Amino acid sequence: MKIEIEPFGDRALRAMLPDPVNAAALLGALRSHPHVVDAVVTERHALVVFDSTEPPDGLHEVFARVLNTSTVAQPGREHTIAVRYDGEDLSDVARQIGASQEDVISLHTAAEYVVAMVGFLPGFAYLRGLDLRLVVPRRPTPRPRVSARSVAIGGPYTGVYPHASPGGWHVIGTAPDFISFDVRRGASLAVGDRVRFTPVAH
Amino acid sequence: MIEIAAIAGVATVQDGGRPGSMHQGIPHGGALVPIGLARANARVCNGRDEAAIEIVGTLRLRALAPVRIASDEALARDLEPLEEWTIECGAARVRYVALRGGLDVPYVLGGRGTLLSGSFGGHEGRPLRKGDILRAGSAEVQRYPLPPPPDPNARIRVVVGPDVERFSRNALDVLLCATFRISPRGDRTGIQLLGPALARLDGDQAGSAPMMRGAIQVPACGDAIVLGPDHPTVGGYPVIAAVVTADVGALMARPPGTEVQFIGAGRAT
Repeated sequence: MKIEIEPFGDRALRAMLPDPVNAAALLGALRSHPHVVDAVVTERHALVVFDSTEPPDGLHEVFARVLNTSTVAQPGREHTIAVRYDGEDLSDVARQIGASQEDVISLHTAAEYVVAMVGFLPGFAYLRGLDLRLVVPRRPTPRPRVSARSVAIGGPYTGVYPHASPGGWHVIGTAPDFISFDVRRGASLAVGDRVRFTPVAH
Repeated sequence: MIEIAAIAGVATVQDGGRPGSMHQGIPHGGALVPIGLARANARVCNGRDEAAIEIVGTLRLRALAPVRIASDEALARDLEPLEEWTIECGAARVRYVALRGGLDVPYVLGGRGTLLSGSFGGHEGRPLRKGDILRAGSAEVQRYPLPPPPDPNARIRVVVGPDVERFSRNALDVLLCATFRISPRGDRTGIQLLGPALARLDGDQAGSAPMMRGAIQVPACGDAIVLGPDHPTVGGYPVIAAVVTADVGALMARPPGTEVQFIGAGRAT
């Protein structure tokens, strides 16, 4: 399989990925390749940053090896995150989809999610697997401040805000015990990890 | 040891950056103008990437113990206890103040710099405030020539792509021929350029793609944003071109209202 790789500045390349790929395996292979300083894998792209203006040899082969390997994807680590469904947008989401708040909660907790990418903020994981009935457009105007540990949905994703920040997703709950980013360990969730949410009482 | 006596603007501890963690959503960070950091450090015989204070605005500091100190523009001096020194950006966007030995702040996830979006690094993960006390570190003496400051008039080199096909054919000509101005809207995550719009062919796509320092990303309004050291590591806007690593600091050094012209650089292959 030939993949398209383009320069991104003078010290990085960006590849377009065919779907689907074993993102965790690709990230691991790229990060361990000689002269690679950084790699980021999102759903459709991979970025490789290197240590000089000379791209490392063998990158095409790394992509070919990972993308052509048809072995069953290594399942990522599993996480269960307790959520208090008390978010300020819960009733609005329920109204938008014509369901009850209890329905929103049961749809959100029934699914298993996979970390599709990490970014936006340190430790912010975009989780894929949202029930199609919960896919609603992002808020027309982002909130200037969403609290840390807010559980939110936006478009096809759900996630937990690691830090207080501006945000355009719908806040449906709080994960009181989940630390998604820590200065010693870094991000808790990595590409390919699997996540479930479980409701806790208010 | 120094105390922050007064501050107007934003001052943070910054160093050479923390590469290697972009997959966790952590950008490289590092000084907005790496040459400025290196100049301040060179004057006090620190390594060029040693942690120092990055100032946007004005900072007055007071020595609490004898300290050797310099800025990117001012020769090293020895301050005695209670002696004060004021550093003003003036016409510059940013200034650096280095202490002999660097700054004794914790090494966090591969660097000593402050990442405001993650509230970590530097001094307690936040901008410096009046009354904060910073101790000098114990970095070894290194001597090397003072690097020249960035040329304020040089054309900024860019590598075209990776999303150039999502722009009108004319947009690349505009980028490479027009004169842009630095907007007042800008910080360590990115700075906005004012000038002719760079016309896009499509709307925002749902998915996000990896981003890089120096990326020239263009929201639907057509006003370009050049990503700085603390950029989000993924983003949804198309990137028409990216500034070469060596020129990002020279661009970030330019204050609001100054001019920028771009020139195409050779491609990495």
